[in-house]
Amino acid sequence: MQFNPCMKHKLIRNSARHFAETELAPIAAEIDQQRRFPREIIAKMKALNYFGLQVPKEYGGAAMDSISAAIVVEEISRVCAAVGLCVTVHNGVAIYPFLQFADAGQKEAYLPQLASGNVIGAFSLTEANAGSDAGSVETTAVKKGSDYFLNGTKIFVTNGGVCDVALIFALTSSPDNKLQSSVFIVESQFPGFLRGELEDLCGMRANPVSSLFFEDCPVPEANLLGKLGDGMKIGLSTLDNGRIGVAAQALGIAQGAMEAAVKYAKERQQFKKPIASQQTIQNYIADMATEIMAARLLLYRACELKDAGAPFGCEASMAKLYCSTIASKVTSLAVQIHGGYGYSKEYDVERYFRDAKVTEIYEGTSEIQRMVIARAILSQPIL
Amino acid sequence: MLNIVVCIKQVPMVTELPWDEKTGTLRRDLAAGMMNPACKHAVEAALQLKEKYGAAVIVLTMGPPAAEEVLREALAMGADRSILICDRMLAGSDTYATSFILAEAVKKEVPGCDLILCGAYTSDSETAQVGPQLAEELNMPAAAYAEHLDISGRTLRVRRLVDHFRETLEMEFPALVTVSMEQYEPRYASFAGLNRAFTGTDIAVLNAAALGITAAHLESRGSRTRVRRVFIRKTQKENVRITGAAANAAGEFLDRYQRTISAVIGKSIEAKKQT
Repeated sequence: MQFNPCMKHKLIRNSARHFAETELAPIAAEIDQQRRFPREIIAKMKALNYFGLQVPKEYGGAAMDSISAAIVVEEISRVCAAVGLCVTVHNGVAIYPFLQFADAGQKEAYLPQLASGNVIGAFSLTEANAGSDAGSVETTAVKKGSDYFLNGTKIFVTNGGVCDVALIFALTSSPDNKLQSSVFIVESQFPGFLRGELEDLCGMRANPVSSLFFEDCPVPEANLLGKLGDGMKIGLSTLDNGRIGVAAQALGIAQGAMEAAVKYAKERQQFKKPIASQQTIQNYIADMATEIMAARLLLYRACELKDAGAPFGCEASMAKLYCSTIASKVTSLAVQIHGGYGYSKEYDVERYFRDAKVTEIYEGTSEIQRMVIARAILSQPIL
Repeated sequence: MLNIVVCIKQVPMVTELPWDEKTGTLRRDLAAGMMNPACKHAVEAALQLKEKYGAAVIVLTMGPPAAEEVLREALAMGADRSILICDRMLAGSDTYATSFILAEAVKKEVPGCDLILCGAYTSDSETAQVGPQLAEELNMPAAAYAEHLDISGRTLRVRRLVDHFRETLEMEFPALVTVSMEQYEPRYASFAGLNRAFTGTDIAVLNAAALGITAAHLESRGSRTRVRRVFIRKTQKENVRITGAAANAAGEFLDRYQRTISAVIGKSIEAKKQT
């Protein structure tokens, strides 16, 4: 058992932190307020393999282990969660299904472009009537000739406004006419692929989250991911992986908020001494630090299981549930420690506070995580 | 193809570290290490020369086992080979001893070395001595504080900023140059590079014996300097109140401070008082 970071993980953290602090910190507040996707920074990130973290070398990726990839998402999110979101969705739920389920031709056609970041990916399951209930997708894919024709609307698509390729969950008919969900690789240039307005969200505002509309959008048969009817299987497996990414993101936000709170508590003078000398503030900081440490260990354990090829769904849900819960708590305490200033856009903790909340919602709500965890625990035999 | 050796150093990541009052050295154990910033510029300079003219870039450091980290980072940036000199016997070397040891390593490990690059100075001790001393040890021409390098044939052209003008020097290989932080902004290592640095390359670890350095050598070529005392300079502000009529107060103020003010502004203000 190894609890201390190895030299490689330390260097990867330093490297991502240096990049985030140099390139993203100066603009993080501005792009949040202006809802601007920072293409100029994304261009720099492409060359450094941020968009192919775990893609094998032969497709131009960095072939990193899962803890390394989590560290990268953590460090970017520590400074700018909206860009962290772009990175984790692209790697965790757009590329991952290609690695797991794509055939050789699909890998050849899409992975090098995705890994280079020249093509940005998205994953679209959610619809107006299908959120936690992933089986209620209403988008349809009907086969005519050699193409499937997609019709329907996807909402809250992370990277939706800029994605070049999206994995779309749609209903298809089985040979015996039963409806089942399948996944299609859809390029933004296909006719009938339309983007909605960008969402005006509480947090993660620099990420171009939007709806996607499909109006008789033809998708070649070769772009069916996995087999017909594999939708649920691909969706669940992908979400397991995506949860590691969102946990890392939540952890990064919590870390950033705690550091800001510690710095402020040492500087802010009330009653002629720094507020850090007050026991109440010290208790807040002790709780924050303890919960962040526990969250990190839980997350890296899920990563380690994944790399060992062991089932990791339950552990990924635990990590996601815990990291997002403490992210909300830590960011709230960080605002509290800042007092009135923390409620102002002048300080970063106001943004961290808004960004943290959604980590309890997307990639499976905390309620769904508990369902997944309880199901796994209850299905174990009693010894 | 050119052989470029870059000498780099691991330094503490924070700007102010507590001193160990007994030994007069920095409490390095309290901080995470990082590559000295000027050394990173030197690595960048070597990599740009490699891209332009073709070269093998060999990074060299002396330090504890943890100094491996800065070598891995240089490999991730694009260096080809790395050497760590690591031996308790060599711990605490001053610049004189360090340059001797580095020279032995270059002679033994990179005999056909054309160019040695160093950071102009380190962020922890800032002596700026090791580069020029190493050139002396190897009997090479040296230029310090370079901001740009060009090569034509066997001639190295070095541009550097000296006080308020730029000068360009030329020298023949083999040569040593220390690189300033004016130009050569270090690149970010890519994640593929970082992964490669841990899977694709081994680090050659050499102890004193492997370099042929014995206790007898260190007797004559070891550290000549001893840190007698280290102290943190204390500054204090003093509030002085001068009261009374304006003319008297001004007179008293000048009596007290005219020497200090004269020293700060660089000319005497005594004459003013008399008028």
